[in-house]
Amino acid sequence: MTDSKYFTTTKKGEIFELKAELNSDKKEKKKEAVKKVIASMTVGKDVSALFADVVNCMQTDNLELKKLVYLYLMNYAKTQPDVAIISVNTFVRDCEDPNPLIRALAVRTMGCIRVDKITEYLCEPLRKCLKDEDPYVRKTAAVCVAKLHDINAQLVEDQGFLDALKDLLSDSNPMVVANAVAAISEILETSSNAQPSLEMNSGTINKLLTALNECTEWGQVFILDSISNYIPKDEKEAQSICERVTPRLAHANAAVVLSAVKVIMKYMEVLDIHSDYVTMLVKKLSPPLVTLLSAEPEIQYVALRNINLIVQKRSDILKTEMKVFFVKYNDPIYVKLEKLDIMIRLTNQGNIAQVLAELKEYATEVDVDFVRKSVRAIGRCAIKVEQAAERCVSTLLDLIQTKVNYVVQEAIVVIKDIFRKYPNKYESIIATLCENLDTLDEPEARASMIWIIGEYAERIDNADELLESFLEGFQDENTQVQLQLLTAIVKLFLKRPTDTQELVQQVLSLATQDSDNPDLRDRGYIYWRLLSTDPAAAKEVVLADKPLISEETDLIEPTLLDELICHIASLASVYHKPPNAFVEGRGVTRRSLPRNQSDAAVGETSSEPHPAPVQQPTVIPGVDSLIGDLLDMDLGGPTPYQQQQMLSQLPISAPTPSGAVDLLGEGLDNLLGGGGGGMDALGGLNDIFGIATQSSFYVPPQEVWLTAVKGKGMEVTGTFARRNKQIYMELTFTNKAMQPMMGFAIQFNKNSFGLQPATPLQLQSPLPPNQSASTSLALNTQGQIQKMEPLTNLQVAVKNNISVFYFSCQIPLHILFTEEGEMDKKDFLSSWKEIPSQNEVQSTITNVQHNADTVSQKLRNNNIFTIAKRNVEGQDMLYQSLSLTNGIRVLAELKIQPGMSNFTLSLKSRVLDIYPFIQQAFDSILHN
Amino acid sequence: MGGLLSYFSALFGSKERRILILGLDGAGKTTILYRLQVGEVVTTIPTIGFNVETVTYKNLKFQVWDLGGQTSIRPYWRCYYSNTDAIIYVVDSMDRDRIGISKQELVSMLEEDELKKSVLVVFANKQDIEGAMTVTEVANSLGLPALKNRKYQIFKTSAIKGEGLDEAMEWLTNTLVQAK
Repeated sequence: MTDSKYFTTTKKGEIFELKAELNSDKKEKKKEAVKKVIASMTVGKDVSALFADVVNCMQTDNLELKKLVYLYLMNYAKTQPDVAIISVNTFVRDCEDPNPLIRALAVRTMGCIRVDKITEYLCEPLRKCLKDEDPYVRKTAAVCVAKLHDINAQLVEDQGFLDALKDLLSDSNPMVVANAVAAISEILETSSNAQPSLEMNSGTINKLLTALNECTEWGQVFILDSISNYIPKDEKEAQSICERVTPRLAHANAAVVLSAVKVIMKYMEVLDIHSDYVTMLVKKLSPPLVTLLSAEPEIQYVALRNINLIVQKRSDILKTEMKVFFVKYNDPIYVKLEKLDIMIRLTNQGNIAQVLAELKEYATEVDVDFVRKSVRAIGRCAIKVEQAAERCVSTLLDLIQTKVNYVVQEAIVVIKDIFRKYPNKYESIIATLCENLDTLDEPEARASMIWIIGEYAERIDNADELLESFLEGFQDENTQVQLQLLTAIVKLFLKRPTDTQELVQQVLSLATQDSDNPDLRDRGYIYWRLLSTDPAAAKEVVLADKPLISEETDLIEPTLLDELICHIASLASVYHKPPNAFVEGRGVTRRSLPRNQSDAAVGETSSEPHPAPVQQPTVIPGVDSLIGDLLDMDLGGPTPYQQQQMLSQLPISAPTPSGAVDLLGEGLDNLLGGGGGGMDALGGLNDIFGIATQSSFYVPPQEVWLTAVKGKGMEVTGTFARRNKQIYMELTFTNKAMQPMMGFAIQFNKNSFGLQPATPLQLQSPLPPNQSASTSLALNTQGQIQKMEPLTNLQVAVKNNISVFYFSCQIPLHILFTEEGEMDKKDFLSSWKEIPSQNEVQSTITNVQHNADTVSQKLRNNNIFTIAKRNVEGQDMLYQSLSLTNGIRVLAELKIQPGMSNFTLSLKSRVLDIYPFIQQAFDSILHN
Repeated sequence: MGGLLSYFSALFGSKERRILILGLDGAGKTTILYRLQVGEVVTTIPTIGFNVETVTYKNLKFQVWDLGGQTSIRPYWRCYYSNTDAIIYVVDSMDRDRIGISKQELVSMLEEDELKKSVLVVFANKQDIEGAMTVTEVANSLGLPALKNRKYQIFKTSAIKGEGLDEAMEWLTNTLVQAK
């Protein structure tokens, strides 16, 4: 015999026996066999090999056997996705079985089989079951839609199951409605695509409210949760929904009660806070919450966590119910701590005496955590209720006298807070505190004590000794303590510089040289430098008045609180975390409270950017140049600090003139000296080309900028032009004096657009009497920026051999329009939409005799680019964009009615100040 | 002695005979099953899986399995082969295009060990339609004359009209009873 016998087992094994039994003719035997298979399955044996045999038992009129086979299928279909297909026909048949139990069973099981090949065959039976005559089948089918959506959302949407599901909301049977609601909320939680088709409206809400009274408690929870996600149209609707939900507050099931509370809490946001109705609602909310506190501790805890949120949102709800939050001796610790938290939130002047007496009692309990929290609570009461502060402090002092270590430490931590809240009031107790210095072993308490010593160093005679004693073990202290010690000693030094110099040097060297904690080192260095460069400044910084601490230090941040209110009665409200913080893999949509419409309107106007550019300086599109940024900030008037920062960021190449008088400082001579013949030639070339190519650029006629009278015989006329992407100042100097003039130079003051001469002034010199000389002065926009009034104002200083003269002129804005101002159509469209509509300003340009094409050509010559042209009802609409040298973009819409000489110009930009000048530019270009 | 026992068992119908109805999709298997069971024509949809019904004919009980004929399901026919007494192989007499495939399926099926002793009845179905292949045509196309060691017979049937089914069942019953 060969060894192959070891591989051919004679014993066929359990599977083989089961297989035979499954194929038996006798029904009883078959059922027994399936039971054995299920038993093996549940204990973890792999019986998937019997798949086909078990499935073949599926077509039976024995309900028990059928259920067993279904159970097997749910478990193994996934491991045998191909063979699983042979079960489809049976499901289809069972969905048409005369027995509703079998129909429901089939559709439910089918939804649990997550095999793609099977899902496609599920649709037809499911469609039939959704319209089944039996409510139990319909309800099961509703849940199946949610299951199917989880497997294949697209399929559900394509097959129209969402609509069918929505139809079920109007079902006559409340159980069906409740399950449809549950399915809808499940679908909405995972998919945003389904949102539009499943959106609740007042009609469906009404149906839900009708079903609410008749369905089971769990159905009620689903319905209430769903109602809470609906945003009522107006106050009236909110009120009527609240009215119909209020009776649920008296339900025996805690989940129903909390869900009802959630609905009302959410809807109260929409209601007028001062109305009688809200007052009544508030009164109605507190008894059910109180009732929840008589349930088992676990439910109490959940209720307390929710109440904690509710009282933070609306402190008036339980304000008179303080007593129910008093701790019972046999409460579990988690309930005790939570009650304590709520007690403090509810504390007010009226009940402080009672609360304080309780807290004092708690502070003598045995549970350390609870005692600590109680001691802290006393401190928090002191901070919250000013009238009671004194009593709280004396209570704390009493507790310190007990000399119980952890009580003393907690007391010191809160007393530090009390000192910060009420400075210069209770310092008399410092002596008592100092007595307990040695017993402090926790970092927080030590740090607090050190802070107190440093803060009141002038009143503690031996402050230096005390701090020195801490300093001995500096290296071993916790960072928190080290930092406090450093600060405290610096404070001490600033208050008593004479005898503590040594101490401060010691701590500074410890902090900066012997520590490798960057925070400590940095703080050490800062103090060191402050003290060594300017002790007075150090005093101002270190001993500055501290802002008072707020009453409640552990409030939940308001937006989070609002979100959590939307999740009352869920795990989120127990964790006090938004669901997406602990639920993974789901695109949980964040919920927010609805807002009262009148409130919302106010909120909107205040939160929308004020129509001044400074509100959102950073969102101006296309600003990448520093200049652009600076200008934008400048327009709104930055704080001096910002200005300073801006200036320091600017590449300063020329000496910075601080005023008009300094305009022609020493730098000017250098500039003059730098002028060469080459530049002249270049300028000439530019001139020639410029005139040849851009003749149609609108150059305003020259104006007299400086009269001969003011200029001691020198008259200056000028204008601005733009050629070949270069800005020029066209100047004509006329000598009306009796003697020749020479030594001409020019300089600009800081201006809104940073204009400055790019080259020195090139002018025929000397200029004989009664002669004129013209020049083009190339300009750039890299100069310093300062917002001028009006914006286009430019202050110029001109110097000749006689004197320095000042004049100002207006920059025509269009010379600053860049050649790069043309936008893509798409960008234009999106920018237009992005800019808030209140930024849009309309004006009329009168008496223009051109058609749309000429207009657009004329504007294009001046770097206003027509991006699109549209004819709307006989009117030509031109959509245009332009961009300033500083990156500001302006979008324009020009409406031209044929035969009319008046055009309508709408401008849109992030920066509103420039509108008048843009309008002016359009006007002058079109009239040229 | 054995003959006597089997006689009794046949008389009381205590043992169900296992019959498979096979064939390509759309041949009319499900219609035949329900025609046999309830004597009526039922509306059917493509069978994705199987139907199983008990059919009584002349005191003889048959457990009749109607298996889906779609390509995706044919591989699972083998799950049903064991203990099969007879195979009803249904052919759509109008489907000349796929008679070749039908033959392949039949041939590969008959090669199975588990079906060695099973009786084969071929239904040349849809004879009610004009232009259908004749029984001889079907038989030749399926290569029936070449079959060896197999009890088989071919019948022309129309499940819709109920024609030919009785004769076929008669023959089948007799053959099965004799075999015992």
